[in-house]
Amino acid sequence: MTGNQAEFLSNLRRTLGRPHDAPPLAISDATALGRDAGEVARRAESIRGRAQEDADALADELETAAALAGWKVARVASTQDAAGYIADLVRELEALSVVRSAQAVVERLDLEGVLSGAGVQVNAMAVREGSDESSADEQRSAMRQHAIDADLGITGVDYAIAETGTCVLLPRKGISRLVSLLPPVHVAIVERGQVLPGLDEFFALRRAHSLGGDLGSYMTLITGPSRSADIEYTIVTGVHGPGEVHMLLLG
Amino acid sequence: MEAKTKNFNTAAAEALNDPNIQANLHGLYQGFHHARVDAAAATPGWEEMREKAREIKAHTIDNLDHYLEMASAEVTRAGGSVYFANTAEDASRYVVDLARSKGVEIAIKGKSMLSEEMGLNDRLAENGIEPVETDLGEYIIQLAGETPYHIIAPAIHKTRDEVAELFEEKLDAPRYHEIEDMAGEARRQLRQKFIDADMGITGVNFLVAETGTIVLVTNEGNGRMCTSMPRTHVAIMGMEKVIPSMDDLGIFLRLLIRSATGQRLSSYVTTVTGPRRHDDEDGPDELHLVVVDNGRSRLLADPELRESLNCLRCGACLNACPVYRKVGGHAYGWVYPGPIGAVISPMLTNLGDAKDLPHASSLCGACREVCPVKINIPRMLLYLRKELAQGETYPESRRASLVDRLLMKGWRLSIANPIMLRLANKAAALAQWPLARRRRLTWLPGPLGGWTRYRNLPAIASRPFSKRWRKMR
Repeated sequence: MTGNQAEFLSNLRRTLGRPHDAPPLAISDATALGRDAGEVARRAESIRGRAQEDADALADELETAAALAGWKVARVASTQDAAGYIADLVRELEALSVVRSAQAVVERLDLEGVLSGAGVQVNAMAVREGSDESSADEQRSAMRQHAIDADLGITGVDYAIAETGTCVLLPRKGISRLVSLLPPVHVAIVERGQVLPGLDEFFALRRAHSLGGDLGSYMTLITGPSRSADIEYTIVTGVHGPGEVHMLLLG
Repeated sequence: MEAKTKNFNTAAAEALNDPNIQANLHGLYQGFHHARVDAAAATPGWEEMREKAREIKAHTIDNLDHYLEMASAEVTRAGGSVYFANTAEDASRYVVDLARSKGVEIAIKGKSMLSEEMGLNDRLAENGIEPVETDLGEYIIQLAGETPYHIIAPAIHKTRDEVAELFEEKLDAPRYHEIEDMAGEARRQLRQKFIDADMGITGVNFLVAETGTIVLVTNEGNGRMCTSMPRTHVAIMGMEKVIPSMDDLGIFLRLLIRSATGQRLSSYVTTVTGPRRHDDEDGPDELHLVVVDNGRSRLLADPELRESLNCLRCGACLNACPVYRKVGGHAYGWVYPGPIGAVISPMLTNLGDAKDLPHASSLCGACREVCPVKINIPRMLLYLRKELAQGETYPESRRASLVDRLLMKGWRLSIANPIMLRLANKAAALAQWPLARRRRLTWLPGPLGGWTRYRNLPAIASRPFSKRWRKMR
């Protein structure tokens, strides 16, 4: 708590007409804040269950909404097919440098193996296990430069949202914030069972995570390419983030 | 930012006479307004969501002390620092001192209306720190040395040719014709700034109290840059932006984004809960949240105006307003234009100086109809008009002229009493005789002239309706 907080809040209380000993907060039924932890956990469980049971229907919904939002959507049957799709894309873009997350699904593509023959540099954006502090710092600045120079960034996702055509990334160890941000083209791989029906289900799940204590520092919901309509209400893509985004629906 | 709310009439007249501005304002309506209408129609349960969001906001604002305390504790627990600032100056001083203590040379900025309130760019520049606006619209505005025209589309008043000219002059760029090329130029210029900057400064769309999570809604990706690339992230926030739970976000994101641009979701929604964790691959080492009052307490203190703190800053009321769509954003003379601006700008600056703003409305109610949290803007505009006339709560802001006051007093006396009314009608019918043309008054003398400057008044009938009615029956 900072020194000025007490004074600021006490001014607020006076403005709100309860200067002395504010009564405890009576949470309104309108907000979800009042739901107890048990209810939140049960709801999260049922949402996770539905994502598995309805995986096919949700993937179909996602495909439609994502295309509307500007993703180039493709179905891939296997990790080999996904790697093939990316190899084709690399050729088409004449890409020389690729950065990737260290998520399990991306590791399984073996991009280093698939692309090295074509002379393409592939960099995993993760500090090596067991590095000491100074070596980690060095790796981080090298990683940052790789992301700045890359023509293509490849990530998995943590969730996808069918309602809005959205991929969700929760950056953490092994998952850099920059792979889906700095390169002009981003490929996101969505696995079967990762698709949630809507925003409400997604945030209910995140709330459950927060009550469980592991919300993490950051979260990005990506819905199509970077865009702006700031000049004459005309939409242009690729303003600061990627202008071209691919969603691969796996399995 | 210096308030120029006194100049409403002259600034409005300038906009009305500028065909480029009129065309762009029309485009805004065609674009944003219709996109909002379609998006709302396509969202199941839209009306229920509005009502629920209104309830949540009202509850949060009524308990703002509790929720800010909760939010502050959580931000701190996640490793961030929180600073509470009573005034814009205080908030700017905190940011400038922080930047200086870290030796910051370049600060990259996400779009923030609060930053405009604070005049933060000027404060940074005075202290040798280069502020760089990175939202395309804000970047254009900064190059032009202007202020935002619209809450979500700051440069919407500029034509592509004007932007091309500006880029040629300020950036030494070739003369572009395509908007894509202009956006490309901005991308290249700003890319290096993102890489070089030591500090990222953003606004806050929502602050989730329960988790201390800052939520940013953007389309270009500059918000992600500002929260990922520099070592220090500073988020500045008007104190009303807090919502209780992460579980409430679905409703608020839908309402905000679909009302603003009609998208189902903006390209990016980014949430920040503290600085980077030890194991994270990247992200800022420090997070500072600055919570700013800057006059909002006045809105909170007045039960007639408290509802204005529910505003999500989507801009829908601007696009729907027949007055904003003609006079544009600069006429309002301060950070927040349009119907909601006509309520909050006077109260955050000086009501007496901004006397024309609450009158810049036909009270048609379009703003209330489109507002995602159902703010009753027309009611508050009427309240402010009453205050300007009578000064019951804000006596120092009473601005009605003596003539207006006498006129209204006379009106009140005569309408309350049938005999007085008859006498007044007779007297007025006689007095108007030299001025009435075809039952219209086209000109009134002296201080009454304002009533006929832009329209004709119907003349007072020679035989009052009550008499005619008796005969007609």
